[in-house]
Amino acid sequence: MKTRAFLLLGTVAVVCLLLLTLQMRGHVAGASDALAIVTTPVQSMLSRVNRSTVGLWSTYRDWKNVRAENRRLREETQQLRVEALRVTETVEENRRLRRLLALRESMPLATLSGEIIAREWGGWVRSLTVNRGRADRVARLTAVIGPDGLIGRVVDVRPGASIVQVLTDPTSTVGAHAVRTRTQGIVEGEPRGTLRFKYMARDGSGIQVGDLVVTSGAGGVFPRGIPVGRVRAIDDRGSALFHYAQLTPAVDFARIDEVLLIVGEGNHDLASLFAPPMP
Amino acid sequence: MRTFIAVAIFGGGIAHATLGPALRIADVAPDIPLIVVVLLALRRGPEFGCGAGFLAGLLQDAASGGMLGVQALTKALIGFAIGAVGGRLRVSQPLVQVPGLVLLTLLEGLARFALLKLFHFPAPFGELMTYVVLPQALYNGFLGAALVLALTWADATREHVS
Repeated sequence: MKTRAFLLLGTVAVVCLLLLTLQMRGHVAGASDALAIVTTPVQSMLSRVNRSTVGLWSTYRDWKNVRAENRRLREETQQLRVEALRVTETVEENRRLRRLLALRESMPLATLSGEIIAREWGGWVRSLTVNRGRADRVARLTAVIGPDGLIGRVVDVRPGASIVQVLTDPTSTVGAHAVRTRTQGIVEGEPRGTLRFKYMARDGSGIQVGDLVVTSGAGGVFPRGIPVGRVRAIDDRGSALFHYAQLTPAVDFARIDEVLLIVGEGNHDLASLFAPPMP
Repeated sequence: MRTFIAVAIFGGGIAHATLGPALRIADVAPDIPLIVVVLLALRRGPEFGCGAGFLAGLLQDAASGGMLGVQALTKALIGFAIGAVGGRLRVSQPLVQVPGLVLLTLLEGLARFALLKLFHFPAPFGELMTYVVLPQALYNGFLGAALVLALTWADATREHVS
């Protein structure tokens, strides 16, 4: 057994050395060619298998990369959307504040700007909480306005905040008149969140839909000329003493975020400060 | 016969030259035929090891375009030697497998270098050893150990099933 093994090793060694010697003398090119006949097809086959496997693997990796990139892009899109919303919000806020600032600068009365920090929007009470209070020397019944018109009056002053009764509050009443006809009346809030203008029938025969109603200044709470709303519909009660006009508020109470509190005193007509609201 | 075909394809340089690059790590590729020859020699003895080494080496020489007979002889020697002494080694231990394959690769490298020198092949010894043989020896050590473990596990599974 051992002899056979050594004999085999010897033969192998002799064959190899012979091959090497012959190669050095340039005689065994044919042997290489003969071996290539065996090796080349197998190599081609294995190469194809290898390429297919590598191709499959590459496809899988590409797919994984695409998935990862897709996820990354989705997140990026989401972030950009949030960013865009933030920018839009900032632009909108900037626009609002500019309008408020313009109004404040043109006001002949001292004002205090405030930010709305809470809203009470139930049917019983309609109020806003402004971040200005006793510390800012805000007084009860201070008029609160926005760039579009009247918002309401302060009904409760707290150390750091004030409660503003909105015009649409059912207990709110404001002395007002129609600009075109000079018809005097009272604007009242209604439980359903609307406004109505109550006027004497004999004075208001000429009131029309679209007429602007502003504060009259009567009572001394609100300065004269602040837009309250526009006539949307007229409720003609025939021979009754009072007639009513439904008003669309000049201010969108649900969307207002910044206000001005009129803390100065004086008898001024502010009508010229407000751009006429769209009918 | 089937084993010899397997040696020719996978143990021989054919698969090595084609599939070897896929296993390359930091430009170092393992000597798959050497590992296959060692594993076969350990299982089948010196004669088989010698024959498998010769065939694998010869095909490796042919596939790589080198001098025919160099690796055929070195691998036949390695196959014979490991087949002869393998029974006395505790080759199931990874502590033997890894350094054993490293040593065998180094020996094969030295033998190949000596043979090439004998036939006036201009090869710088230091650089060959540092950049080719030694890294390949380390790679072979770990890859061979992993293969041995895989074969042991496959054997155990087969026995368990049968």
